[in-house]
Amino acid sequence: MHQTILNHAGYRYFWFAILLSIASLVAYIWHDPVGAPNGGSWLGYTLGTIGALLIIWLLLFGIRKRSYKTNMGSVRGWLSGHIYLGTALILISLLHCGFQFGWNIHTTAFVLMLLVIFSGFFGVFAYLRYPHLMTQNQQDSTRAQMLQEIAEIDQAALQLADTVDKSIHDTVLQSIQRTRLGGGVWNQLTSRDASDEAIASLRRSANDSRKKKSSTEGGQTMVMMVDYLASSATDKSNENLRRLIDILTRKRTLASRVARDIQLQALMEIWLYVHVPLSLGLLAALTAHVISVFFYW
Amino acid sequence: MKWLIRRVLKRGKGAIQYEEEIHFGEILTIGRAANQAIFLPDLRAALEHARVISTGKGKYRVESLIYAGVRVNDHIEQQANVGSGSTIEIGSTRITIIDPPKDFEAAVEVGPIDKDELKARAEATKLATTLGETWLNKRRFSWGLLALFAVLGLALPIFAHYQPGFGDSKVVRSNQALGQSIWEAGEIASPHHFFGQDCLQCHGTPFEVVQDDKCLSCHSKTLAHADQDQFQLWELSESRCAWCHRDHNGVEGLIRDDQMLCSDCHKDLSTHPGVTTQLTDVSDFLNDHPQFTVSLPRWDAQGNYAPVREVMGGAPLVENSGLKFPHDVHLDPEGLSAPDGRRVLECDSCHQEEIGGATMKPVNFETMCQDCHRLDFDIQAPDRQVPHGNVAEVLYSLDEFYAKRAIEGGYNDVTAPVTVRTRRRPGQEMTREEREQAVAWSRQKARQVTEALFLGRACTVCHTVTVEPEAENGPWVVAPVRVAGIWFEKARFTHAKHTTMDCASCHNAVGSKSSADLLIPDITNCRSCHGGEHAQGLLSSTCIACHGFHQFDQPLRKRTEL
Repeated sequence: MHQTILNHAGYRYFWFAILLSIASLVAYIWHDPVGAPNGGSWLGYTLGTIGALLIIWLLLFGIRKRSYKTNMGSVRGWLSGHIYLGTALILISLLHCGFQFGWNIHTTAFVLMLLVIFSGFFGVFAYLRYPHLMTQNQQDSTRAQMLQEIAEIDQAALQLADTVDKSIHDTVLQSIQRTRLGGGVWNQLTSRDASDEAIASLRRSANDSRKKKSSTEGGQTMVMMVDYLASSATDKSNENLRRLIDILTRKRTLASRVARDIQLQALMEIWLYVHVPLSLGLLAALTAHVISVFFYW
Repeated sequence: MKWLIRRVLKRGKGAIQYEEEIHFGEILTIGRAANQAIFLPDLRAALEHARVISTGKGKYRVESLIYAGVRVNDHIEQQANVGSGSTIEIGSTRITIIDPPKDFEAAVEVGPIDKDELKARAEATKLATTLGETWLNKRRFSWGLLALFAVLGLALPIFAHYQPGFGDSKVVRSNQALGQSIWEAGEIASPHHFFGQDCLQCHGTPFEVVQDDKCLSCHSKTLAHADQDQFQLWELSESRCAWCHRDHNGVEGLIRDDQMLCSDCHKDLSTHPGVTTQLTDVSDFLNDHPQFTVSLPRWDAQGNYAPVREVMGGAPLVENSGLKFPHDVHLDPEGLSAPDGRRVLECDSCHQEEIGGATMKPVNFETMCQDCHRLDFDIQAPDRQVPHGNVAEVLYSLDEFYAKRAIEGGYNDVTAPVTVRTRRRPGQEMTREEREQAVAWSRQKARQVTEALFLGRACTVCHTVTVEPEAENGPWVVAPVRVAGIWFEKARFTHAKHTTMDCASCHNAVGSKSSADLLIPDITNCRSCHGGEHAQGLLSSTCIACHGFHQFDQPLRKRTEL
């Protein structure tokens, strides 16, 4: 069977997490604390200690995955445990606090922990789903290869456009200048095809200039060229224009694919910008939680 | 107009060669077409890409002839007014407007843009394609959040501990995220609200549990559970107040009411090392609570009240209240013959709670009994009654009554001498003999009536009266009475919590023919409703429902190290 982070070593960590959860739950039900269940009973302290140790261990994953020479088990095994034990932590911490919450550092630590865990759930989803989509999207190519091909197409398109008409050359030149892949966080995540943006801005400027100059110059590259094709005179330039449209269509496909590649990669990474900083915030809040509890015992 | 066009040619190994040509005209055209003043063999240039027009001395206007525009001074422009030193870039060619040398009105320098510069520019204008290239920064965010929570959660509260004035500032007081309130795990109990956020009122040395001296600084009158000199147990001496009184558990959470609080020690107290006790081991009200021990009224030889404690549940106990009182007669549903007709008595006709419901008020003869049980003594004065409750006063009252009758005369009684029977006119004096006769009669009469009251029709109806001539205030001795009082000295039963129940649910008064019947129920009766802490189907009642930890008859609690 294909080994993934979920079924690593025959679901070893899944069963461990289930066992830990059931043991905690049974202890919680059996336990009869003074007053309402709370973190100050012996079970509360026990579950709190288990939870804190788990959090430390989960944080150590950040170090383990950078330690390439270690022999402390595979990263996949660690990640598998990271996922299952991290999930079990929700129950353990709830039982630890006896479902008591307030506006304080203690519940802040709990909320931070939940945010870290749930962002991690998205990470699991991303890691299980996006690599496959990326491979599918790239179609046996790499991003660098695609970008190289786009650059070559640009060059060829200019040459072809030159043989057709200077207005077509102008349009292609604009299209090249404005084809921009990637961008800010939002653009990367939403896969806003930069060429779409280029075309949109082209259209805007075209509209503007039409108003100003009453010119039909500009407009969307393809439309412009098809218009030209319809009214064109020579067979030779017609032929070249058809080829130009072909390669520009190819370019557009490539550009969309690169944009999608960027998007998938960004989605694979974005949750880490929540997961990692919040986990460090959690470390501080957890430390404050533990110290404050014993500072004013 | 005369333009100088100077071409800069790079010839390898850093060698540079200049070619100069002259152009005449107002306009300098730039493009890939052969007819352009500046010819650019570059596909990125249009055939007629741009033109430079001199607009005055040292002033030029650059116009793009194609929609894609032209890069002037690093900005893509359609049209721009420029001066000397400006650059126009198309493809990889840079055209710099320079100060015209002598004999020229305008001059430009045309040269390739350095490859490294082109590369750097491409890098600079390249858009981010990974999140790592954007403003997002895991490391910076991580440190930021770490610092934020370390400051709010640790640094500020600890600072506030060592600088108590810090918490008094308005900003800190009005903001829960600042200072020590962020540490508060749960709301403090209502009685402690008045000192609010001042943690140091209870919490002292860091990393040390709350000490009793902090509690006792206010609660200085706290009583002990048991005499700590007599019972030297660490549970009594060393356990902290906070062991039972756990704050920060909400407004009502300050008093422990779990069974373990007591059963911890009491479940095997009799075998506890160093303890000799008369108390029976107990851990649960329903399962192993001993039968109740009731305090029955008794009086010692000197007549002092000295109740005896008897264990209930065995043979029926005899109550010696000192009163003869058949409950069944008085609770006859048909009612009793009272002076004003039939009167139906209820329990509360005689038994009324003290305010607060802790005990019952003593039964009051004058208001509860005397309507029927009159203490009249003379048929000729039916409204006169002797006082109740004091033998000496009864005697005085009778002596005085009959002495007055004897002296006033007109007392209509065949056994009385004529002097007493004769009504005297005002001012009519008695002879010495008559006075002696009258006084002798009155003494005798009073003695007769007294005897009739004490031994005949009045006192003995309810009381036991003995004749003891040798007694201090003899000879009539009425046995002492106690009807209402404390039955369970070690428990805190209150009627106040049982007011909605019928009295007969617990007290079988209707069937009681004698006041010797003890009508106080035993534990079986309580257990019909109350169970232990974990009882199923019964009211969960823990020890402190009836018992208190701090005993009213014990000295002040003190904490000592054994």
